[in-house]
Amino acid sequence: MSGWESYYKAEGDEEEEEEESPDVGGEYKYSGRDSLIFLVDVSRPMFESQGENELTPFDMSIQCIESVYTSKIISSDRDFLGVVFYGTKKDKNSVNFKNIYVLQELDNPGAKRVLELDQFKGQQGQNHFQDLIGHGCDYSLSEVLWVCANLFSDVQVKMSHKRIMLFTNDDDPHGSDSAKASRARTKASDLRDTGIFLDLMHLKKHGGFDISLFYRDIISVEEDADLGVHFEESSRLEDLLRKVRAKETRKRVLSRLKFKLDRDTALTVGIYNLVQKASKPPPVRLYRETNEPVKTKTRTFNVNTGSLLLPSDTKRSQIYGNRKIVLEKEETEQLKRFDEPGLVLIGFKPLALLKKHHYLRPSLFMYPEESLVNGSSTLFSALLIKCLEKEVIALCRYTPRKSTPPYFVALVPQEEELDDQKIQVTPPGFQLVFLPYADDKRNVPAPEKVMANPEQIDKMKAIVQKLRFKYRSDSFENPVLQQHFRNLEALALDLMEPEQAVDLTLPKVEAMHKRLGSLVDEFKDLVYPPDYNPEGKATKRKQDGESSGSKRPNVELSKEELKVHATKGTLGKLTVPMLKEACRVCGLRGGLKKQELVDALTQHFLKD
Amino acid sequence: MARSGKAAVVLCMDVSFAMSNSFPGEESPFEQAKKVMTMFVQRQVFAESKDEIALVLFGTDSTDNALAVGDQYQNITVHRHLKLPDFDLLEDIDSRIQLGSQQADCILFWLGKKFEKRHIEVFTDLSSPFSKDQLDIIIHNVKKNSISLQFFLPFPIGKKDGTGDRGDGNLHLSDHGPSFLQKGVTEQQKEGIQIVKKMMLSLEGVNGLDEIYSFSESLRQLCIFKKIERHSMPWPCQLTIGSNLSIKIVAYKSILQEKVKKTWIVVDARTLKKEDIQKETVYCLNDDDETEVSKEDTIQGFRYGSDIIPFSKVDEEQMKYKSEGKCFSVLGFCRSSQVQRKFYMGNQVLKVFPAHDDEAATVALSSLIHALDELDMVAIVRYAYDRRANPQVGVAFPFIKDAYECLVYVQLPFMEDLRQYMFSSLKNNKKYTPTEAQLNAVDAFIESMSLIKKDEEEDTIKDLFPTTKIPNPEFQRLFQCLLHRALHPQEPLPPIQQHILNMLDPPTEVTAKSQIPLSKIKTLFPLTEAIKRKDQVTAQDIFQDNHEEGPTVKKHKTEEGEAHFSVSSLAEGSVTKVSRAFPVSSHQLINHIEQFLDTNETPYFMKSLDCIKAFRDEAIKFSEEQCFNSFLKSLREKVEVKQLNHFWEIVVQDGITLITNDEASGSSVTAEEAKKFLAPKEKPDEDSAAVLEEGGDVDDLSLVPKKKTKTKKNIKLTITIIIVSIVFISIIVSLLYDGFTRPSCVKK
Repeated sequence: MSGWESYYKAEGDEEEEEEESPDVGGEYKYSGRDSLIFLVDVSRPMFESQGENELTPFDMSIQCIESVYTSKIISSDRDFLGVVFYGTKKDKNSVNFKNIYVLQELDNPGAKRVLELDQFKGQQGQNHFQDLIGHGCDYSLSEVLWVCANLFSDVQVKMSHKRIMLFTNDDDPHGSDSAKASRARTKASDLRDTGIFLDLMHLKKHGGFDISLFYRDIISVEEDADLGVHFEESSRLEDLLRKVRAKETRKRVLSRLKFKLDRDTALTVGIYNLVQKASKPPPVRLYRETNEPVKTKTRTFNVNTGSLLLPSDTKRSQIYGNRKIVLEKEETEQLKRFDEPGLVLIGFKPLALLKKHHYLRPSLFMYPEESLVNGSSTLFSALLIKCLEKEVIALCRYTPRKSTPPYFVALVPQEEELDDQKIQVTPPGFQLVFLPYADDKRNVPAPEKVMANPEQIDKMKAIVQKLRFKYRSDSFENPVLQQHFRNLEALALDLMEPEQAVDLTLPKVEAMHKRLGSLVDEFKDLVYPPDYNPEGKATKRKQDGESSGSKRPNVELSKEELKVHATKGTLGKLTVPMLKEACRVCGLRGGLKKQELVDALTQHFLKD
Repeated sequence: MARSGKAAVVLCMDVSFAMSNSFPGEESPFEQAKKVMTMFVQRQVFAESKDEIALVLFGTDSTDNALAVGDQYQNITVHRHLKLPDFDLLEDIDSRIQLGSQQADCILFWLGKKFEKRHIEVFTDLSSPFSKDQLDIIIHNVKKNSISLQFFLPFPIGKKDGTGDRGDGNLHLSDHGPSFLQKGVTEQQKEGIQIVKKMMLSLEGVNGLDEIYSFSESLRQLCIFKKIERHSMPWPCQLTIGSNLSIKIVAYKSILQEKVKKTWIVVDARTLKKEDIQKETVYCLNDDDETEVSKEDTIQGFRYGSDIIPFSKVDEEQMKYKSEGKCFSVLGFCRSSQVQRKFYMGNQVLKVFPAHDDEAATVALSSLIHALDELDMVAIVRYAYDRRANPQVGVAFPFIKDAYECLVYVQLPFMEDLRQYMFSSLKNNKKYTPTEAQLNAVDAFIESMSLIKKDEEEDTIKDLFPTTKIPNPEFQRLFQCLLHRALHPQEPLPPIQQHILNMLDPPTEVTAKSQIPLSKIKTLFPLTEAIKRKDQVTAQDIFQDNHEEGPTVKKHKTEEGEAHFSVSSLAEGSVTKVSRAFPVSSHQLINHIEQFLDTNETPYFMKSLDCIKAFRDEAIKFSEEQCFNSFLKSLREKVEVKQLNHFWEIVVQDGITLITNDEASGSSVTAEEAKKFLAPKEKPDEDSAAVLEEGGDVDDLSLVPKKKTKTKKNIKLTITIIIVSIVFISIIVSLLYDGFTRPSCVKK
């Protein structure tokens, strides 16, 4: 497939190529960019810490913003971020309003910006703030919002989502000035109309933060009206972080599909991915002299005439049973077509029949989509309630796109869950679990069963109990990614030495050792014979004797021999080094995979 | 690995004259045997199996085998020696195997010794005399070489009776072969059956008779292409708990999304050679001239947010995260409920066994498996395949079966992989809360569509739809098409086979049961398609797209003779150039007409009739009669499908018919044809029905007239038809300028 995928890249429109949704490995991409402005109240109360060792609200906000920056760099570096302070002494903004300081305009998050934010952290950071900007006394929230709106409109790129996060611990900023308050309300509603969302990240305040005093009319309510989720005010950094995290990414639908109960009864659902592998971004090629990025063009041409080839000048072929079978490119697409995109209900099965070890690829999430078929939500909700109650799953045939063959999926009902901060941790809906086909299952040779005796099992139970911990899905960072970005950061900021990322995936050997004490030795005594060494190499390799002499097997074969193999179709019997050598002798570029080598040779010999 | 599992298969086919005996209306055993062999070989070819296949014919006129000495082994031809199967063999089976006029007298086989498994498949009708005296020798030889033997006969044989007792009582023909019962089996065949039975029983023991198949049952089993078999490589490692406790393990991939082994090779369209095509990648600067630079002059960089940071491969290699090599280390244990299935990541499932032939390791791992099982806990593990691989964190949970026990490992997400989205609560929203009646309807519906069958007596549950037993239809379809193309290079691809489609659909008994509860759901849950502004502008949208698409399509079109670019895309691109104003307005018109009709109410019928009339007049004025005619034709189709016959009656009454060549010179419709068009139709035009079917909505439309997206598709269909016809007009017109008409291009 790689052959013609790259072909299409040559057509130029890279953006479009990227947005082509899921590839087979379960990775998805979206169009448009998100933008987010952090709007921070920097008036004096924000710098007053609530307790002895507690962070000031301002410090918390800054740390929080910095963490969003770094995570954005990893997860979605195309998004725009900006930081605005209000209630400042100095001012810096395009319309020269007082007491508003635009620290960072909307742009991609980058190393310098992170560094700039870093300077505002801690006690030193507060001093730095005083020197650089200073507290002001007066501000108008309507002007503040105006500045933010300008920032959004200054961006030339198409934005898919605009959001402001307001950090403050003042629940009634214009308590004495009703004119200002009403202007702020008007401005806030203007923003709403232009599609800008405003979220309040309210921080702890003596006597509690009362949203009803002022902010209730200012903040936007989610598009899906009654979110039913109201945050508590945050007094700890972790709480604030989680709140910000929850809001920071806009939920994006992968596709809107019909869920057909039968041929003509359908509701519409949105499909979302709640887990997606974050991977190292692909490298960019730069021109050595100037470090500017270069464009990559791939083109296909005819070797004999040198003329460029259009897609229509090529066909696709595969070789089976020594025969070259040729199809048009369209036909290779066409044969993958089975259903119209959508989900087709097959029936229901007890949840218990869904086997834990039948896992194929990351599951997706399904939520009703009222915008296409009215009444979808009610039917969806009824199905969800009943599936939960009866503990059944719905089995469906899932076709995400037109030219994608179907896979069977189990719809597993999932009930909504909130945590103690009333933040939704599990949304209501169905998980879409992919089920393997017969081809995806492999037979593995299982060794003979020898069961441990109860005494041995009990000893292991004691070990297991000692090493108990609470697993959270977000407790492990990807050490490879983290190190990669630390390295980049170090290079970007001209640091001498990159910060070493802590590898959380390594076992805490010493702590474990301490906890286990003598249990390990006791278990070993019960299970292992005295002279047994579990670390030792497995039984000596049988071939040891002969392999030393013939370490490098004779990889050369005469052309005649090869030809015999090719005509008999037995090239596959040869080893990869032999095939490589054969390709080299015949002057072929075979590729790396065995199949490619075999194909190349077969073609070469059959052609003669 | 290289040799394991490889088998040699000898297909022995009886081509003696008796094989051609058949009963009226039935295929001869000869033809049937050929079919079974073809299917068997096809499967082998596409499974890329390393098994080698030989073909031996017996009962041939000539003799060609290495053992033919004197009058021994006469009339046996080795048609093909052991070789990997290929299409030549398939074609040979299809066309080169001829019936012989002789009778076969003996079968004996020889095989090379390098195969691990040896099979002999015999296709015969047993009507030739066998030399009984050598039977014991044959059995002895076959046994000694541990060859497995399978017989394929034109009729099923009884499997109930044992050996020994001779005579008719033994010949228990089962119910599968009524035709044979009637027509009887010759004495010779009866005797043959005895011999075969004796052979099989002495070779394979009591189950020997199971290795005798009838042609028809094998055909049924072979119609599905073999599932792709992959063997997993063992991955030996040590499971470590802390610094001091390790268990020798070996892991295998047990589930991995299987891909087609071969990729499409790009070949030149004319020569069909891969070598004629070369691809190159060039780098150029982002300046106006797009100055090319050589690859050596470029370096690698990475984005860090807005910055691009030059970072050479060497530096990257040196600074990157260094793994400590392969490992399977327990980080800790947690309650199994804390690891939710929705967080499973990665693309594989591993089964972790103790090292082979290591009892100490087996017992140690067994204690862990059972400890976890009894505590309802799982292990969180760091897994790294090797030094170069990125480490993962995953879960290992116990898996205990009667025959074996193991740990099953699945990857879990890193913090960076999670996306926390919030969705509004469905519970607290009064608007979407279902009523009691609605809930009951859903309850009944779920009951009716249950895919399990409970056996009360045995207290077992039978799964009526085990998805893991279904072969991936993608491969089935691919092989079907490849096979078809290989054997019939000039024909278009065949449609999807019915047995594949059936395999993907719910069992009919389940759908039948669900009909009543489903209709209840339909009445209790009003589902109406939201009418969005977007729908109204569909037509324009399409045209806008086409406008942009225009140049590219044109580009393809310039390549002459490449007619394979889909007609519709070609048509869509050009239409904007032909006539922009008319189609747009006509589409809106058609759009409206469709919407009116969907209401299925008489006042709207009158309105749509007005629209149609107006459309007709306009079409004549703008010489777009084809456009109207195809619209009217498709309308008639739709009316039939949707059973809006009373509407059509009005159309007939008002005499609105196709635009004839009297009214507009561009039309090819004669007055006669136009009249006929309105006459009641016996059978729907098959071609256009097929077109509709491709839209996949025929049935939908007939059942629910109120759906709008469905009609949208049909509108699109209509539009396509119209566009296509317009393009054809333009083609014809342009050709007319040359004084030359070529209607054949229309068909293309």
